[in-house]
Amino acid sequence: MFKTNLRFTWRNLLKNKTYSAINIIGLAVSLAACILLLLWVQDELSFDRFHSNSNNIYRLAASFKQEGKDNVWSGTPAPVATFARKELPEVANTCRVTDNWSISLLEYKGKKYFNNRCGLADATFFTMFNFPLVKGNARQPFTDDRSVILSETTAKKFFGEEDPIGKILNADDKNAYHVTGVMKDMPFNSSIRYDIIFDFTVLKRDYTGNDYWKSLDEDWGNYNYSTFLLLAPGADSKKVGQKLANIHRRNQDGEFTKNLTYIPLPLSKVHLYTPEGKDDGITIVKVFIIVAAIILLIACINYVNLVTARAIKRAKEISLRKIIGANKGGLFWQFLHEALMIFLIAMLVATALIYLVMPLYNEIAGKRIVFNPLQGNVLLVYGITLLATMLLAGIYPALSLSSFKPLEAMKGKLSGLGSKVAFRKVLVVVQFSFSIMLIVGTIIIGNQLKYIRQKNLGYNKENLLYFGMRNITEHYDAAKAELLKQPGVVAVTASGADIMNAWSSTGDADWDGKTAAQQTFVINQISAERNFLDVMNLQIVQGKGFSGTPADSTNYLLNETAIKVMSIKDPVGKRFTFHDKKGVIAGVVKDFHFQNLHRQIEPAIIYFSPWRWRMYVKTTAKDASKAVAAVEKIWKQYNPDYPLEYQFLDDAFDTNYRSDIRVGKLFNCFAIITILISCLGLFGLVTYTAETRIKEIGVRKVLGASVPGIVSMLSKDFLKLVGISIVIAFPVAWWALSKMLESYPYRTAISWWVFALAGFITLAIALVTISFQAIKAALANPVKSLRSE
Amino acid sequence: MIKITDLEKVYRTEEVETVALNKLSIEVKEGEFVAIMGPSGCGKSTLLNILGLLDDPDAGSFIFNKIEVANFNERKRADLRKHNIGFVFQSFNLIDELTVFENVELPLIYTGVKSADRKKRVEEVLDKVQIMHRRNHYPQQLSGGQQQRVAVARAVVNKPKLILADEPTGNLDSHNGNEVMELMTELNEQGTTIVMVTHSEHDARYSHRIIRMLDGQTVTENILV
Ligand SMILES: Nc1ncnc2c1ncn2[C@@H]1O[C@H](COP(=O)(O)OP(=O)(O)OP(=O)(O)O)[C@@H](O)[C@H]1O
Ligand SMILES: [Mg+2]
Repeated sequence: MFKTNLRFTWRNLLKNKTYSAINIIGLAVSLAACILLLLWVQDELSFDRFHSNSNNIYRLAASFKQEGKDNVWSGTPAPVATFARKELPEVANTCRVTDNWSISLLEYKGKKYFNNRCGLADATFFTMFNFPLVKGNARQPFTDDRSVILSETTAKKFFGEEDPIGKILNADDKNAYHVTGVMKDMPFNSSIRYDIIFDFTVLKRDYTGNDYWKSLDEDWGNYNYSTFLLLAPGADSKKVGQKLANIHRRNQDGEFTKNLTYIPLPLSKVHLYTPEGKDDGITIVKVFIIVAAIILLIACINYVNLVTARAIKRAKEISLRKIIGANKGGLFWQFLHEALMIFLIAMLVATALIYLVMPLYNEIAGKRIVFNPLQGNVLLVYGITLLATMLLAGIYPALSLSSFKPLEAMKGKLSGLGSKVAFRKVLVVVQFSFSIMLIVGTIIIGNQLKYIRQKNLGYNKENLLYFGMRNITEHYDAAKAELLKQPGVVAVTASGADIMNAWSSTGDADWDGKTAAQQTFVINQISAERNFLDVMNLQIVQGKGFSGTPADSTNYLLNETAIKVMSIKDPVGKRFTFHDKKGVIAGVVKDFHFQNLHRQIEPAIIYFSPWRWRMYVKTTAKDASKAVAAVEKIWKQYNPDYPLEYQFLDDAFDTNYRSDIRVGKLFNCFAIITILISCLGLFGLVTYTAETRIKEIGVRKVLGASVPGIVSMLSKDFLKLVGISIVIAFPVAWWALSKMLESYPYRTAISWWVFALAGFITLAIALVTISFQAIKAALANPVKSLRSE
Repeated sequence: MIKITDLEKVYRTEEVETVALNKLSIEVKEGEFVAIMGPSGCGKSTLLNILGLLDDPDAGSFIFNKIEVANFNERKRADLRKHNIGFVFQSFNLIDELTVFENVELPLIYTGVKSADRKKRVEEVLDKVQIMHRRNHYPQQLSGGQQQRVAVARAVVNKPKLILADEPTGNLDSHNGNEVMELMTELNEQGTTIVMVTHSEHDARYSHRIIRMLDGQTVTENILV
């Protein structure tokens, strides 16, 4: 039985080549798209889940309530971990992790390497997390605080085949570090990713005991460290956070910590949620799951539509089989076989497709997904899609096709699904509604990206290059003078911040009339040279700005938002104390975007200070290369040991939005695929309609119908359906996209033309699809269709 | 009205070449009722299709109303056809999705007759073929004879000069067949030229002249009147 079915199915597929091709190609492309999307989703969801403790590890975020607005930092002070372990029994283990900024160059026997990802971590790092050591002792990875653990790749880079253990690396912080272990390279789906791990306790050496903060374990003011807690199973993470906040208050009293809470975020959420646990990247994961489901649904609709449309042609065959004696069950299995066979072939084609596009996909998505169809999780994705398609598209038609009433079907009348033209119409409307929503989505997302890129940042980002100065810092004036003499250099300035990513903030600010509620006021600090505002084209809206006199060291410039939050009237000339230095507000700077546009502009201060490490060189479009050459020359002079790493501001800007652009691109790709698949389905449906109406078309032509008349007769119905889809899709798309755009504080407007364009595109695509078949049918010689009786 | 000379039609498929019409010459005068007979496959339908401007000949001349139409293009043929020729087929070829009324109305729509006129004319012919009471039924709801009467009504609604009928009684019993034949005779008497293909000697006797064909050629002609 199975074999006969198989043979029959195969013959059927070959006999109806267009039908089979449309079905298989449509399904294969959709399955491929769906699987690619789910692989992406799976990769995103797999982040940090490879730790066997991942369910019990939390990262602490520090949250300050400030006039109803939450201020959340993903770091905590260092002592939090120490107290947590000492005082809270439910905390089984802790580990502090942070970037090691003080080291950027490491040298071994004359071989120098820059840009290793260097991290600092507590000794618990290798037991609490699953970062296995190839060499060394995971329980005691560091023998002293100058120990380092290298990744396999890094070790190989430095030492080749030699045994790394005990080797000495010289760092540019003038210290020598010795290797005590080698770890496996950290996987790509890890939020914590370093090449080299230094001992966290080395930070203790930065404290002399004479400053305000006496030691690392008493420094409650520096929120630079990621604190991970391993909680005992069943522990209430929220309570742990509250207890830690109380401990913090006990050690550092005052207004600032009054509203402090610690929020433990599960490690598995670190990648996709904000530090406090709100949706972040997970939104896109959800969107992509929905898109995958839509694609699968549309593919299934295509299948159901084609199969049932074809049922009209097969009615005779099916009825004959019934009259001869086939029972319902047998027929049901035959149709299911057919579906299964088509799906399996489609799956093979899809696998080949995925293999083909995987490198490109990884590049667009910025991922390193290795596709192996036999891997457990890939098989799972396959299984899910197969099950879904079989349920959605296999069983339903099989059931309804096998329940024809044979005598009626013999006469060309259909009972059951095949007869329900309305049902097919609904399906077409569903798939086109989705397609239109995706088109609208594509345009809006594109618009939003464009909006962000074209947004006036409040400063000039054209023809500006910048770089970290290193040793130039000490010879800034000489280097600047030298640079200004070079062709192509228009102006030079310096700052302690990256103007696009200024993240340094402090609560150490005071002014007359600061209220109790304003005690938690936090301000972003940007140290700068006097000419910084001029060179960057930052606008002063009140006051004069820096004066050029020594008084500038206490002349503070605040942005509009800061003034508003502090609620100071007539701010210019008012007293302002910053880091305990009394001064005055010398000017108000028009708000500018010193962080990415996903964030609202916050209070910021620009202050004159020699603490500057980033040089900004202004040039012209024409002479940019000359300016680069000049900078390189100066660089070699002061930093012979380091490579120059400069970036143009506008490139840096694009880098900031790389992941937005990526998501945008992915969304585009999948939206296009969805629309193509919908059209393929429409194409198939029109083909079948034309075929089933071939006699009618013949008769009409004999009676004098013109070719355009026939084409419009065939197209009208379908275009009407597309029209209905548009009416359904627009409000839904409008609602969904307004919702999505809400996550951007600075966003494009959803204007009517987007909908007009989407409607036009859809109609045009549908029209082309339909008319292709309709014209073919209309041009056919009626004699042929009429003689075949 | 129709004069064809040395008409040839050859069907070519991958393996075989079928000469459907072989230097066929026929003349049909205005007002005539001609029957064409012959064994299956001798080319009767092919001839009728060419006469009806549905198909074009490979060679020969075809003069219709004093105009050479053998090499007319598709659009010209369609135009000539819809104003001058009505068709009746063995298998009725009514459109299942349209009612009796709508089926008959169709040719008028295609020739651009106004809606009010259409209604009048359709009712006229439906009356004539005595199917008026069934005007809102669908084809499947009618008997074969009734369906063919509708088809005849549709063929004549445009008042064509020529009606081409391919075995109009082929699917009907003798009673229904006779009804259709009488209808045709009546139309002929009112001035419509009719060319009819048939296998039935009985039906052929309704005509004025029988043309007998064999292998794409005429063999004999019997004049009955
Ligand atoms: N489209 C076609 N392709 C190939 N051969 C064809 C085609 N149409 C007709 N023929 C061949 O041409 C010959 C004449 O066919 P035609 O249909 O005119 O016969 P007929 O006299 O009407 O027969 P019947 O009485 O059975 O209707 C036949 O041999 C037929 O097989
Ligand atoms: Mg015939």
